[in-house]
Amino acid sequence: MRFFQPIRQLGYARILAETRTHFPLSPGMVAINQPEITKGYTAVFDVPFPPQFDDLSKTDYSLTWILPEDKMDKYHSTKFQLTEQPFYPPFADESFVVSDFENYLDRFLSSSKLETAIFTLPVSQINNPRIKEIMETECSLYILSGLTSLFSNQRRIVETLVQLREMLSPDIALYAPGPISPSLYSFLVYMGVDFFDNSIAYYVSKNGYFLTEDQVYRQSIHPKCYCPHCNGLEPNLFKHNEMVIKNTLSRIRYSIERGIFRAQVEKDVHNNVSFAAALKRVDTHFNENLRIRTPMISSSPVRCIGEESFDRPLITEFRERVRKRYKPDPNSNLVILLPCSARKPYSFSRSHKFFHKAMRKAGKGVFKSLTELIITSPLSVVPRELEDIYPVKYYDIPVSGGWSEKEIEVTAELLKDVLSHFPKDTVVVNHTHGKGYEDIVEKIRTTSSFDIKDTAKDANPTSEEACQQLTDTLVEIQQATKTSDQKGISSKIRKMQAVADFEYGLGTGVILFPYSVRIKGKFPRDQHIYKENEHIATYATKSGYLSLFPKPANLILSKTENILEFGAERVSGSNIYAPGVIHANERIQPNDEIFIVHEDQIIATATAFVSGSDMNKMTSGIVAEVKKKVRSKK
Amino acid sequence: MKINRNFAERIKQIREAELPSRKHSRKVVFWEEDTRLLTEQGKALVFILPTGGCSWALSGSGGCSICGYIYDNPQQPDFEIILSSFQKILKNKLNKEFLYSVKIFTSGSFLDTKEVPEEFQFKMLEELSQYEVIKEVVIESRPEYIKDSSLKNISKRIDMSILEIAIGLESSSNSILMNSINKGFFWEDFEKAANKIIENGARVKAYLLFKPPFVSEYDSMRDMLLSATKIVSLGIDTISINAISIHRGTFLSQLFEKNEYRTPWLWSLLYVCKEIKKQYPELRLICDIVAGGNVRGAHNCGECDQLVINAIKEFTMSQDIGVLNKEISCSCKNEWESNLIHEKISISEPVIQRNVL
Repeated sequence: MRFFQPIRQLGYARILAETRTHFPLSPGMVAINQPEITKGYTAVFDVPFPPQFDDLSKTDYSLTWILPEDKMDKYHSTKFQLTEQPFYPPFADESFVVSDFENYLDRFLSSSKLETAIFTLPVSQINNPRIKEIMETECSLYILSGLTSLFSNQRRIVETLVQLREMLSPDIALYAPGPISPSLYSFLVYMGVDFFDNSIAYYVSKNGYFLTEDQVYRQSIHPKCYCPHCNGLEPNLFKHNEMVIKNTLSRIRYSIERGIFRAQVEKDVHNNVSFAAALKRVDTHFNENLRIRTPMISSSPVRCIGEESFDRPLITEFRERVRKRYKPDPNSNLVILLPCSARKPYSFSRSHKFFHKAMRKAGKGVFKSLTELIITSPLSVVPRELEDIYPVKYYDIPVSGGWSEKEIEVTAELLKDVLSHFPKDTVVVNHTHGKGYEDIVEKIRTTSSFDIKDTAKDANPTSEEACQQLTDTLVEIQQATKTSDQKGISSKIRKMQAVADFEYGLGTGVILFPYSVRIKGKFPRDQHIYKENEHIATYATKSGYLSLFPKPANLILSKTENILEFGAERVSGSNIYAPGVIHANERIQPNDEIFIVHEDQIIATATAFVSGSDMNKMTSGIVAEVKKKVRSKK
Repeated sequence: MKINRNFAERIKQIREAELPSRKHSRKVVFWEEDTRLLTEQGKALVFILPTGGCSWALSGSGGCSICGYIYDNPQQPDFEIILSSFQKILKNKLNKEFLYSVKIFTSGSFLDTKEVPEEFQFKMLEELSQYEVIKEVVIESRPEYIKDSSLKNISKRIDMSILEIAIGLESSSNSILMNSINKGFFWEDFEKAANKIIENGARVKAYLLFKPPFVSEYDSMRDMLLSATKIVSLGIDTISINAISIHRGTFLSQLFEKNEYRTPWLWSLLYVCKEIKKQYPELRLICDIVAGGNVRGAHNCGECDQLVINAIKEFTMSQDIGVLNKEISCSCKNEWESNLIHEKISISEPVIQRNVL
């Protein structure tokens, strides 16, 4: 069993906890030289200093975790040992490092108690095929030596860390030793580094540098600090700097916990040019890797302030799901393009209330064949049915009215894909106004044969004039096309179908919720969905997602990707543990509702802790938490 | 196998590129300095003989990774000139008021007959035995040239009890000798050579090298203590700890220029001297700091360097541990401690400014 257990995942960032007590430890600090013990999220290296004749027989150095004492009897161990290390550091010549590293691997693998041994991995050796042998052991802490030498090379640091994290199981912790500025922590944590040390505090304190969470100042000119270390009788720069390290890590843990970590990373990379470039590189080259590790089911605010937000994995995943999993009502042959609103959900906003009023004026029948698409940045295209789900209901952007070239390109592309599901004679009513919107619609006009009518070309969409024109246009269209007598599906059920498609996979909505289902529960309470008097699903108003009961979920087994094949016919306890996992679908994202399947039968539903690909890598620990189990017949 | 082939190959490449730039001076360099004799303070007369140079440095294995002395040796030595100036200098410089230690350095092995022909070895030693003020004669050699036959021959020319043969052991760890210095011999070879010297009535001085490349400073401190223990157990009474200084044209110099090596802290040397002297009070412990306070030599933060260097110098002269016990305080002491532990944990990754901001 490994010492660590991921309990939260967001990109490659994880909160690692002690496996038995789930006491969270990472992202944390390693005190390499600590006269006084600091409680919480800290480990202390016990290296006798300076070395004495009495210590000469000592060959291992321990790293002790500071854990709450009341649970002492539960821990398997609180100490790691650093016994063997390779002789040559990562910067030494390749020719003589290789054989030395091989020898080190042999010695390391033959040593005892690998569960608490610390493995040293020089960055120059990550391509060594034998690292797999270490990964198969229970060794759970790697020292990543030489990482700081890559800091000036954004391409190599990104490729190195991605490669490592793709190789390593999420319950293996990486410790990057050496002086690393706290302003870089959040990016490195996002890329999967778990521990840093306080050596920078020693280094900068001596040289008269003053740390803050996002910058390094000269001691002679720095912003006034009101912490006790700076204001005591004897101001202690070292203690101030160390406090900054701890505060930075604590802030990172907090934002991972709250699900707002990516926004923090975007903000923090602005402190350093090469790391800003590094994040861009991650987003363009390894977006998929991060997407499958980013929770989609959440209720934390989504602040998209910088241009990095446009490629945020959460946002790109949303666009990807709209592209792949959204199919409009087959009866729909009328599309209205609407602008977004600051108030979420959109339909609660003043502007959208005006739009609806104008639509209703055109007659109730209009809604039967109508699909509303909201055009927005950075999400691009949001079908009305999905306006209540995360992240649509929770995102916020600084609106300036201007659209960048890239936003226009991506939005038009997605809009084209969504419109391709509609019949050829569909009429598109464009009720948006402004240069950016115009450019997007123009791209559609030139590449498709749809009849596009503008209703807010000359006036603001909320103006009386524009609303009247919308009503008139809709009336006109209704008269021109023969309205079908077919009974339209209720918008509530239609919404549940769309959410199910978005959550579980295309085609699942119609199977789960034929129009005979009944929906009980009034906003803002959660809604319960009944089919033939059987409660089959619950819709959570807060996140906008569904959760299914195991029995009805069997209907969509062939259509959904949220599947974990389990090795036993019954789930005991309230968690799914890694040894029971035969195979988890690689598309599973953390927090996803997954179906625990044994011999083609769903035996339980659960909430994923980590991504599917990481579940397959883990050999111990919890991978998902059980929600509902099928009662076994006895 | 006493060498790491790949490592030696790398050193050889550097050596081959640098050797053509050797100087051609054939002058015998000498100077006078204060020194510590076995039991008292005295004067040292140091000679640097312009021989052909160290056989190991010129060999196919490239020599030691840290040593650039070979670039000061001429390609064509002239021993007649060497001998005559040696004799002249002795005559002129020795003063009856002092006791002397004469140190003959060749930047190689005095006992290597290819480097210093036997005939001249004998003549020089005979010359030295004529002066009564000379209480100590120090020559240097690699262990492979220390043979019973040659020691016997020497003993006919000089009183063996004043002869001290210094061997550059550098470290008692074979792994360090092979993988970071490329010394070409192991501890066992030193042991054999030292025993032969002692059996023939002369004394041995062991040089230790503080902080060779690829060894963290912390591990090097441990190595100094460990090596001292092993050396003392052979009955050797003199150890000289040489803090590394970076010679141009060496493997180490290349590491240094790429910011991959930091020369040791003076704090470490101060501590190592204190700890060894405390454990072995009878030992004559010499600590020679070349380029102290300079980035290419042992240094601290810049503010306290001179204080520490002076303390170590004073200790070397007086052999009084009290000098080392005097507290020297500086704010860089904390940094020293954390740097060393960091370097140890991340296997000799040096703490360099570029990493920080």
